[in-house]
Amino acid sequence: MPPSPSPPAPLRQAAQRTSLAVVAALSAASGLACWLLRGSAGLAEAFGIAWSLFLTILPVLGAALLLAGFVQAGIAKETIARWLGAESGLSGLLVATLAGIATPGGPMAAFPLVLALAAGGADRGALIAYITGWSLNGLQRILVWEVPILGPEFAGLRFLASLPLPVLAGLIARRLPRWER
Amino acid sequence: MSATGLVLWAAAFAAGLALWRRDRAAVAAGGRFALGTLKTVLPIMLLALPMAGFLTVLVPDRFAAILFGAETGLRGHLVATVVGALIPGGPFVSFPIVLALWSSGAGPAQMVTLISAWSVLAVNRVVVWEAPLMGWRFVALRLATGFWLPLASGLAAEALLALLPPGAVGR
Repeated sequence: MPPSPSPPAPLRQAAQRTSLAVVAALSAASGLACWLLRGSAGLAEAFGIAWSLFLTILPVLGAALLLAGFVQAGIAKETIARWLGAESGLSGLLVATLAGIATPGGPMAAFPLVLALAAGGADRGALIAYITGWSLNGLQRILVWEVPILGPEFAGLRFLASLPLPVLAGLIARRLPRWER
Repeated sequence: MSATGLVLWAAAFAAGLALWRRDRAAVAAGGRFALGTLKTVLPIMLLALPMAGFLTVLVPDRFAAILFGAETGLRGHLVATVVGALIPGGPFVSFPIVLALWSSGAGPAQMVTLISAWSVLAVNRVVVWEAPLMGWRFVALRLATGFWLPLASGLAAEALLALLPPGAVGR
């Protein structure tokens, strides 16, 4: 029986409201600080930067969202769960890393999946590789936020530099002594 | 349109075509997923972009260059690890902060370390999400296996940058 890791809608909406509240508060606070320290000229400069960022992001965002959506639709959560359960050894860690990279969404999407897999008896090296692959190199975050804001060169550099690390973390996890419950 | 935009649109089109050949219903599901994400992301982005502007104006010139410029070496990577671990919130907070730091002279490899530290160590996410959902035992296992990853990714980025022509990754 495949795990059903999707969080209930109220939880997702609560997370969305929290995100909006956090970014609104930080934006207002930094805007106020900007106005107090740099005056209206500073505010004008800041909005100029925001506008040029917006113009950079606008044509890229639709493609990024569609690409992330198609990857998500092509690789169902049940497939990811099957991959993680089926493989062991080094290839199991590689598969877990790729599954983590393909998992979209924030912590409320990734952690429940790990919970379901752990309950199903998945190898903990694979679980660590999965969650590390998701947190370091989640494709959706790279496409929707990193490429538009920081540029493809930087995103590519960071992706390559981080690519082998989840496998190494998984290898370490397998070698750590087990806790007695 | 920028080269990035063209490549991304081409990739999205190719992925959509491959999916359409395999499973036509999945293309619609992917489109719905993209639209749903847009509804979530757009309001957040419209608030995050002004913040990116405010922060870029606020962070003094050369401030980030002193803390973690390209020449600060190992010390810069360690400072970036601590700063990254303390940044709260999702990508809508961290990437605007990185943009502001970058405009103020931070090194690209040091920013790789900072984003990795925010990804792996994020104190805020551990307390709010991971510990309640997964338990402290899992958190301990993940931190024991992952505390060295930010530094490793930053040093790997230094090695990659050494292979690239100067200025290949920069602001």
